[in-house]
Amino acid sequence: MKNLAPLCNLLLTIMLSVWTVLLWNPLPLAALLALELILIGYAGQAGKLARPVLGLSLVAGFFAVIQLPFDVAIPTAIASGLKMMVMTVAFLLLFATTKLPGLTAALVKQARIPYEYAFLFTSALRFVPDFLAESQAVREAQTCRGYVPSRNPVKRLISYAALVEPMVLRAISRSETMAMSLELRGFGSARRTFSQQIEFHGRDYLVLTLLAAMTAVVVLYR
Amino acid sequence: MLDIQQVSFAYPGHAPALKELSLTVAAGDFIGLAGRNGSGKTTLTRIMVGLAKPVSGQVLLDGRNTLQCGPAVMARAIGYVFQNPDRQIFRDTVAQEVAFGPEQMDWSDNERTQAVADALRMTGLESVAAAYPRGLTRSFRQRIAIASALALKPRLLILDEPTSGQDAEEKAQLMSLLDELNQQGIGIILVTHDMELLLAHTRRAVVLHQGEKVFDGQTEELFAATTATKVSEWGLRVPDVAAVAAKLEKPLGAVRTVEELADRIEGRLRGDEREKPGAPM
Repeated sequence: MKNLAPLCNLLLTIMLSVWTVLLWNPLPLAALLALELILIGYAGQAGKLARPVLGLSLVAGFFAVIQLPFDVAIPTAIASGLKMMVMTVAFLLLFATTKLPGLTAALVKQARIPYEYAFLFTSALRFVPDFLAESQAVREAQTCRGYVPSRNPVKRLISYAALVEPMVLRAISRSETMAMSLELRGFGSARRTFSQQIEFHGRDYLVLTLLAAMTAVVVLYR
Repeated sequence: MLDIQQVSFAYPGHAPALKELSLTVAAGDFIGLAGRNGSGKTTLTRIMVGLAKPVSGQVLLDGRNTLQCGPAVMARAIGYVFQNPDRQIFRDTVAQEVAFGPEQMDWSDNERTQAVADALRMTGLESVAAAYPRGLTRSFRQRIAIASALALKPRLLILDEPTSGQDAEEKAQLMSLLDELNQQGIGIILVTHDMELLLAHTRRAVVLHQGEKVFDGQTEELFAATTATKVSEWGLRVPDVAAVAAKLEKPLGAVRTVEELADRIEGRLRGDEREKPGAPM
């Protein structure tokens, strides 16, 4: 997938999500999940994504089990868990195999989305790992000052201020710095170019054809 | 006070960050911890305060194994000051910010108030106790972080690059504060890349290289002519004063600051003038 055009990867993710929405039988959903896992292995991302996928499988399992006391049929509960997992893994696969600047360029040049919106989308995605790292750093800093979350849920909620406030203040400060940095580098000019190679090649057209065929199969036989 | 025995650590999927490292920290030590980026300095200090658990080996605090203690427990004995103070500051006034740690402990009102007052006094922050912390300079914010750690009355303070982002005067003030704290009996471990500061202020230097301790001794010895070549191999820079002192035809021996170097040279000049004018320095 690293060799595919960014837009092709995005379309693959979208179509995996569409198929997931259309399907309600656990077997084809499990097949889709298997396909994603094969793609992860093929893309050489198995080591990187093993832990998140394992974590997701636990959440999906919990999601399925928690529905059972509410008279939801077992196949439906399993399908719900699988749906959540297939859709999430599809996006994990996209972000593990597609560089965000390439995705921005594809959204603007090929999907004709205004640059500001495409940039907003990819910046928000880029912010997620930063946010997690920052959250870890703030938690460690406060723990070294004796912070331990209370067992009492109300006190625990209140004590989260010690983590949330520094993160929000830092995020505001960083967004201001980033905004200035962007302005100073010509962000928002009417005409622009991209250095990323996003053109479609033969393999991309092959994948798009397979996606169309698979969509037809799913619509006809779901 | 703190005894690190044969500690090894590795991040998942990476080469070992620490390899069977042992280190003893005595009460009241002033240690400079140096080494190039990735040498294991931060990993070692994180293990000391319980933020990371070693793969093997043990950390003893006053003879008691600390591996089961989290950083919140260790904070009572070892204060940790991060490089970026903004990651912890969140309250409306400096005094409230410093009071955060004591509030986490089961202390009486009097004990808490006294701890905050002591920490503000020790760090020279009494005049800004009611100020909004984020509105103060980086130097002040770093002092607030130090005061926050001191409020828990630790016996050892670990500071990770505390002078980064500060001008020369601010650095001097901060180092002067650390000297004062050390004179009051608080042990200091200073993680730094600034060899001038290391030489001028610390009494003991510990150098890590590729996860191993390659030097542990008096700071002056680290920059003595015999080890100077190794210092470069370890990714460190010999401070100018030490380099000049070693380059003289008759080396001056251990010199810590520019003032000390000037005094020694002047002293020698005066002596030489009396003995033999024009003699080499």
